[in-house]
Amino acid sequence: MSCRHQVGLVSREAPLISNLSVLENIALIRQYHSRLSRCRAEELARKCLRRLQLEDLAGRRNPSLREEQRFCVMVLRAVMLEDSILVLDRPFEMMPALGESRFLYDIIHKVAEMHRECHVFDYFLNERRYMGGSGHEAENRT
Amino acid sequence: MIYSGMLNVLESIGKKGLQSTRSLRDATSFSYRIFARLFERRAYNSAVSMVLINQIYFTAVQILPLFLTVAVCLSIAFVGIIGEYLLRIGLFSFFGRLLMGFMVTEIAPFVTVLLIALRSSSAINAEIAVMKVNNELNTLAVFRIDIINYLFLPRVISGIVSVVLLTCLFALIVLTCGLIYAGFFFNMSAGDYIAALLESTNFFDLIAMLVKSAVFGFFIVMIPIRYGIRATNELTSIPVAVLNGMVNVFIAIVIIEVLSLVITPMIAKLI
Repeated sequence: MSCRHQVGLVSREAPLISNLSVLENIALIRQYHSRLSRCRAEELARKCLRRLQLEDLAGRRNPSLREEQRFCVMVLRAVMLEDSILVLDRPFEMMPALGESRFLYDIIHKVAEMHRECHVFDYFLNERRYMGGSGHEAENRT
Repeated sequence: MIYSGMLNVLESIGKKGLQSTRSLRDATSFSYRIFARLFERRAYNSAVSMVLINQIYFTAVQILPLFLTVAVCLSIAFVGIIGEYLLRIGLFSFFGRLLMGFMVTEIAPFVTVLLIALRSSSAINAEIAVMKVNNELNTLAVFRIDIINYLFLPRVISGIVSVVLLTCLFALIVLTCGLIYAGFFFNMSAGDYIAALLESTNFFDLIAMLVKSAVFGFFIVMIPIRYGIRATNELTSIPVAVLNGMVNVFIAIVIIEVLSLVITPMIAKLI
């Protein structure tokens, strides 16, 4: 992983900001780093939500989201960093009801042009869950 | 045994002294970091501006109904009592001086800061402590969002702006109540009232009042923030952080008030 690029982390250790809406959480990254105006950043965030067909979540806050919705919002927030390296930290811990990795790969492919690389870190015991996807293997966490 | 007991007492006094010194040093360093950042242009962007506007709304605008009610009630009470008493003892000529020198420069900032501290300081304290417990401060660090710029600076600025503006509003309400009382109850014309006020107005006292309000505003936000970020990862640390923060806010209010009463006349003499 190149250190010159920014790491967009999706992890339980980096939750959504609870006093911001979904739209504001995603827009915050560009507002702060790229110094975009609020309108411009929210327009960009709305486009991203539309890409995952989640535009109706824009005004909602963290506690009212389902696990998969929260995960998608965290992915969108992470790819808002320019030229980012997307890092998914133990995704099955964030979505315990998820049986296998197809959903994960769908999301990653939908935001493919918004990030440079994607790395998934998970426990060795979850290896089987990743095999049923599109042929990508997770980096094992021992 | 008595000797070891005395040693233990001395040791505990020394420990407390060292703890207090370290705490004061950390507080001073934290205050300086935030104060220095106020003047850095690159600290401000649209995200920070958005937080600032929200904070000014929550601190200064939402409190207006309660603030106006308290200001009007206190003004009527104080102005009435002061005026009646001065009339009774034949010193009504000092009415203007008491209004300006006591009500406007001392009572207005003190009552304003108490109201804002009770409402906004406790809310900020709890909010920062909850963000700490929920790992949201970690989120900001992960995404390289400076928490001083994004979280603390807008709240400190809103505290300073709110206390100063609301103090001026309180002063205006006091003077208006004074005008009504002077006209209806003390048979004083508006012209005489305004002349009495102008005669009693000391420009230096007004500047001192504004500076005191700004200092109040800075510390009633900075102290809750500092205690909020000291919360640990347990939910039970939140009420402890809020309790400690609010106690220290009220201690700070008293200290600033006392210091202003001591320092202002000294500076006035020098000038």
